Amino acid sequence: MADLKIEGLVKRFGEVRAVDDVSIHVADGEFVTLLGPSGCGKSTTLAAVAGLDRPDEGRITVGGKVYFDGTRGTYLPPESRGCGLVFQSYALWPHMTVADNVAFPLTLRKVKAAERKRRIAEVLALVEMEPYADRYPHMLSGGQQQRVALARTLVYQPSILLLDEPLSNLDAKLRDRARTWLAELRTRLGLTTIYVTHDQIEALSLSDRIVVMNSGRIAQLGTPQDIYERPADPFVADFIGTTNFLPAKVAGVAGGVATLELADGQRVEMAAERPPEAGARVTLAFRPEQMRVAAAGEGSGPEGSVIATRVLSKSYVGGRWQVALDLGGGPLRLEAETPPSGDEVRLWLPRSGCILFKGVTDVAA
Amino acid sequence: MSSTTAEPGAPAAPGRFPREIPIQYGMAALVVVLVAAPLVPILYQSFLTGALYDRDAQLTLGNFARLAQTEGFGTVLWNTFLLAALSTVVAQFFGTAAAILFGRTDLPGARVLGELFLWPIYLSALVLSFGWYSIYGPAGYVTLFWQSMFGEAPWNLYSIGGMAVIAGVSQAPLAYLYCLSSAGMTDPTLEEAARVSGSGTFRTLWRITLPLMMPAIAYSAVLNFTIGLELLSVPLIFGEPAGVTVLTTFLYNISATSPRPDHGLVATAAALMLVVIVFLVWLQGRLLGNTRRFVTLGGKATRPRPFRLGGLRWPFFAICVAYVVATGVAPVSMLVLRAFTSFLSPMIPLADVLTLENFEILWREPVYLRSITNSFIVSLVGAAGATALIGMIALIVHRSEFRFRNALHYTALFPRAIPGVVAGIGFFYAFALLPGLGGIRNSIWILVIAFTMRFIPTGLGAVAPMLLQVSPDLDRAARVQGADWWTTTRRIMAPLMRPALVACYTILFISFFKEYSTAIFLFAPGSEVIGTALLQTWVQGEVGVVAGLAAIQVVVIAVCITTARAIFGVKLHG
Ligand SMILES: Nc1ncnc2c1ncn2[C@@H]1O[C@H](COP(=O)(O)OP(=O)(O)OP(=O)(O)O)[C@@H](O)[C@H]1O
Ligand SMILES: [Mg+2]
Repeated sequence: MADLKIEGLVKRFGEVRAVDDVSIHVADGEFVTLLGPSGCGKSTTLAAVAGLDRPDEGRITVGGKVYFDGTRGTYLPPESRGCGLVFQSYALWPHMTVADNVAFPLTLRKVKAAERKRRIAEVLALVEMEPYADRYPHMLSGGQQQRVALARTLVYQPSILLLDEPLSNLDAKLRDRARTWLAELRTRLGLTTIYVTHDQIEALSLSDRIVVMNSGRIAQLGTPQDIYERPADPFVADFIGTTNFLPAKVAGVAGGVATLELADGQRVEMAAERPPEAGARVTLAFRPEQMRVAAAGEGSGPEGSVIATRVLSKSYVGGRWQVALDLGGGPLRLEAETPPSGDEVRLWLPRSGCILFKGVTDVAA
Repeated sequence: MSSTTAEPGAPAAPGRFPREIPIQYGMAALVVVLVAAPLVPILYQSFLTGALYDRDAQLTLGNFARLAQTEGFGTVLWNTFLLAALSTVVAQFFGTAAAILFGRTDLPGARVLGELFLWPIYLSALVLSFGWYSIYGPAGYVTLFWQSMFGEAPWNLYSIGGMAVIAGVSQAPLAYLYCLSSAGMTDPTLEEAARVSGSGTFRTLWRITLPLMMPAIAYSAVLNFTIGLELLSVPLIFGEPAGVTVLTTFLYNISATSPRPDHGLVATAAALMLVVIVFLVWLQGRLLGNTRRFVTLGGKATRPRPFRLGGLRWPFFAICVAYVVATGVAPVSMLVLRAFTSFLSPMIPLADVLTLENFEILWREPVYLRSITNSFIVSLVGAAGATALIGMIALIVHRSEFRFRNALHYTALFPRAIPGVVAGIGFFYAFALLPGLGGIRNSIWILVIAFTMRFIPTGLGAVAPMLLQVSPDLDRAARVQGADWWTTTRRIMAPLMRPALVACYTILFISFFKEYSTAIFLFAPGSEVIGTALLQTWVQGEVGVVAGLAAIQVVVIAVCITTARAIFGVKLHG
């Protein structure tokens, strides 16, 4: 087992910098997720680690062994690296049975027949696919193929495990099951793993740490809690979970509390560790679940502020209501157990827990 | 997991010698040698005063002037151009009409007619010419019949017009195939829009469908023009007796049949031809770049609603049946029939002339039997070797990190620009030049080598699209798991490519089996193939034996196509 160090990785496709100065250190046995929108460079990063694409700059080492070094021109071909990569498409070889697929990496390593048989049985049992050993890939469901692909990679005990959206081809139900199963497997095996996904639930529930990527760059690197509760910028806040963004101006600062003036002139108070100076333009970000409908007659106080909004639409989404609101021209999303009555809703917003970003952002959806 | 023999995390190939390096460079070198072999001697010879192997030969530019001053050379060029242009017009007209009628209308029996329309593509123009001769020639069946009814027949195959019709008909399938895959055929939306807005059938055809087919028509026109320039068989059979010489027959006359060939002149004429064809192939590439945008790939588009021909359905049907019978079915049938008779004429009852004598001669004369066995060996063995080579080229070009893969791709496709006659002359020089290759020079292996070079692009055309359909993840997965490029190629890619290789082998077998234009410059006594024997026998006037040999070729190709289709589901065109 080994740790993985990526330093200053750059990969260009013509003019496009698909991966732009990415540095990640994955500790031995750690499970790190690359998360980001489509085309942000996740697969390219993974391919660089596996040796499928030669990067342009940077350095990749696994357990002290140099895989790639741009300045020295070191480049190990994929077959000399010993990584394990599970493809989004699974890439099972259609002309081989499940057992043959799994046997292939062992044959390459000249593992003796008896030993090979034992290890194939062992790994197929691990992924609960033993009864299917003699089937061909096209006779398997998507979920089963995914397990075989994983087995084929685990069987040779790779130094690090790279998973490229392994669950994205499964339907919602199967995906949930596969995620739980993967989480169990992960604690059992304790492999150094990079997991690629654009599904935030997978990222949050499986990872030790998450790397959020945006157009080839690292937007934030941290634990799931860090990322969710303290997003580094509006992009991360928007990408992880649902976030409301309100443009505002700092009206005044006193004792770690900033008074903000919203677009339509209403005022809210926010606790801020490093409050911006008065007059600055800021963006207020908070999760729908952080606010609630204010009780009748409730007003602003030291705990939170009350703001008035207009109801645009409401829809029932099973057990709860999603309400689209308008606040001085800006949209807001609210989740409530009972639908609001009337056109106006008064909201209560806590003084702490919301985040202030400097400047005006246009991320808001 | 528990105990193992291999250390966990260890790669399968820790710093092993990169085997792909010698393999890839070796293949690239082989392809370069193959393609350069006929070209370099020709270009060199065209600048020499004497023969290539003559020590006293000096460098000169005089050959070009001598060629230009050769008597009748201007006429040769004009004839060449005229024949190519006319045959292109004929091919484009029939091909386009067939594409619209068989592909887009409710013509009865369109599918079967479409199949019959493709016949000439599987036959060599040589065999088709013999077929036409036996029907429309001076003593042809239909000609004699016409004469007995109406007097002098109004057609004459021994003219540029007659040759253009034969050549055009044999090239029409190409235009047909390209038009079929054009946007005008496969994108229904534009057409539907026109119809919804009240445009009638023929108006829509004329204003919408045809313009959408223009890129395909233009591309296949350049292709057919190129083929028309390279054509040897038709002018050799019909042009020479009438004194109409084109560039290919000019080359043939001054080299293969000349007792003391003027090598400087031969090489210069060949070089001239090469330059023209290279330009045309370059033009094809440019046009194809434009066509791609109009071609709907992969048959994803739904087939549009066919046009209704209404009352014209049956008249059109009659015309189409007449066309495929007159141009393909009848000539081939007549040729086969001729093989089983001593003489064929509408005046004499068939029963009186039926005989197996032609085949007895084929069986008795060693030269014929040898040409048939040689053809089989060249095609069976040669196509196998060529398929292996082409599979490797395709894998290196499309599935490797080989540094010069683009250059290799370009080189491998270059033979498209080398006409058969030029390849034949070029390989002849190459083998005359290199000492120690005498053994190959007088054997069938020189043919195998020349044919292989000629048909690399054809084979790649069959392999590459299917290879590109194999997901790159499949070989990348093998690489990550520890297989080097060569192991991946053998264990993963080769089995996955099997259908592509079978298709490639079938196409190459047919191409090798019917090839003659390269061979007539290269064969020696003992290394005849059917194509060369056909021409030689034709010159001797043994029409019955020619028909017998041609019939054998037709039957072998038909069996090969049917088997490939039935067993492997191979698609041989498109
Ligand atoms: N072979 C290539 N040639 C050119 N551009 C490429 C190539 N591969 C990737 N790119 C570009 O690099 C960028 C990053 O691609 P990448 O596949 O890493 O995205 P991703 O984060 O994995 O996206 P997804 O979630 O859709 O899989 C994209 O803009 C893509 O268009
Ligand atoms: Mg990806």
